[in-house]
Amino acid sequence: MTRAAHHLDDIAGPGSSPVTKDDDMTADTPIPFRRLLIVEARKLVDTRSGTIISLIMVGLVVASVVARGAVAGPKLQTLVGTAGIALGTLLPVLGILTVTGEWAHRTALTTFVLEPRRHRVLAAKCLPPLLAAVALSLFAMLVAVPATAVVAGVRNMPATWEVRPLGLLGWTGGNVLVAAAGLALGALLLNAPAAIVINLSTPVLWAVVGRLGSVGATLAEWLDLNTTAAPLTSGDMTWAESARLATSVAFWIVLPMAAGLVRVLRKEVT
Amino acid sequence: MIEFNHVSKIYGKVKALDDVTFTVGAGSVTGFLGPNGAGKSTALRILVGLARPSSGSATVLGLPYAGMACPGLRVGTLLDAGAQHPGRTGREVLTLGAMALGLPRTRVGEVLDLVGLTERESRRTIGGYSLGMRQRLGIAHALLGEPEVLVLDEPANGLDPQGIHWMRRLLRDLADAGCAVLLSSHLLHEVEQAADHIVMIGRGRVLAQGTVDELSRGRGLEETFLELTAHTDRSPGGGASPGIDAGRGAA
Repeated sequence: MTRAAHHLDDIAGPGSSPVTKDDDMTADTPIPFRRLLIVEARKLVDTRSGTIISLIMVGLVVASVVARGAVAGPKLQTLVGTAGIALGTLLPVLGILTVTGEWAHRTALTTFVLEPRRHRVLAAKCLPPLLAAVALSLFAMLVAVPATAVVAGVRNMPATWEVRPLGLLGWTGGNVLVAAAGLALGALLLNAPAAIVINLSTPVLWAVVGRLGSVGATLAEWLDLNTTAAPLTSGDMTWAESARLATSVAFWIVLPMAAGLVRVLRKEVT
Repeated sequence: MIEFNHVSKIYGKVKALDDVTFTVGAGSVTGFLGPNGAGKSTALRILVGLARPSSGSATVLGLPYAGMACPGLRVGTLLDAGAQHPGRTGREVLTLGAMALGLPRTRVGEVLDLVGLTERESRRTIGGYSLGMRQRLGIAHALLGEPEVLVLDEPANGLDPQGIHWMRRLLRDLADAGCAVLLSSHLLHEVEQAADHIVMIGRGRVLAQGTVDELSRGRGLEETFLELTAHTDRSPGGGASPGIDAGRGAA
């Protein structure tokens, strides 16, 4: 490729330096996964809308923790758990927007030309929202500590610092699961509005299904991810609870993600 | 360096491409000329692995595009200048490309200079770009990895006369340096001036191919083009043209 390359440098003008490339940059090696990951993570925050979503999530975590503290008193575990309401709603939306965005703006045209192995792009897209779920969970805990102390000081009440470490771990895991469910639904539908509507309306759906006699109640018990993931926060799950969680994870994450992967691999990019 | 080998593409009952065969050699600017809906974009999408042919194969540098380890460093592609996130800046788009390809950030400034986008323009979001600016950005993106092969779909759309003149020079210089350039267009004069070889396509079939001189046959390229594409014309009364075989002979 040197002939064309040298020429490009020529017409780039005298001020341009010859292109020096990274050591691992050669046309004979695929783009390293870590590079794809950095690029896809950057795409989450390099537009105004992406930045706004990120700021809203951070803001809502702080607001929900502080507001709950003001009302419920200085109980650390309770305050952390409150942030889960905001995260449980917004993390799936973040996941959906992450995997559907390139199809909406048709930038997939560029992305898949740079990396035709689409499964690698999809994997690189899925990791940042999952990592964000962990980071935001930790952030909620960090915010809850001073919030608890301040509320205790202001209201002159003894603070309850007791937390169940396994419970917090399970809670973090639950946040990762809802983010994954958003990614899976987004990959399956490749259409953000449809996926967001379905995702936000499932709690209502399960509330209705759960009241449709014993069959409905059983279905809701085994398939409603919000219900089956709730025992995670206890840090002490029974086998039956684990089985239900695994079933709903298969239904909301594994199956749609598998089907979504096939779709992404096959879909013609126009 | 680009090879289409009996490529056909069928959507349901519609044959978008029918046994398309042609090659683009190093040092050539080949114009892929045809009316709207002739199958140009479909062929280019198949070439870079975004769509699968129903039969036949397309290769770049002897390989199927998706079989290359890092195709972005060998093949520069611009398929649709409008396909950009409106909230991203032009510079950011190029930075993402440079990062993915492992190129130094200084390369972003170099390709911006190459396509004549200013520093200030590059820091604006693409939502405010004119189509001509988007085309320049897309060409800059295609040039990031110093490719040996360029694939451009309707790159002159939206460019002003100066822009078209500039692009013609750029493609000529790249070809003279050994690049293989394939550009599609429905604009006859633009292709006539920019390309040395021409592949005419209509209704998914290659109607004629050859050098500009061969296809002009002493009476102008437009005559040949209109004659060959007469049967693909949407206006009533357009029948099969007796010139098709002669056109093939010139290939």
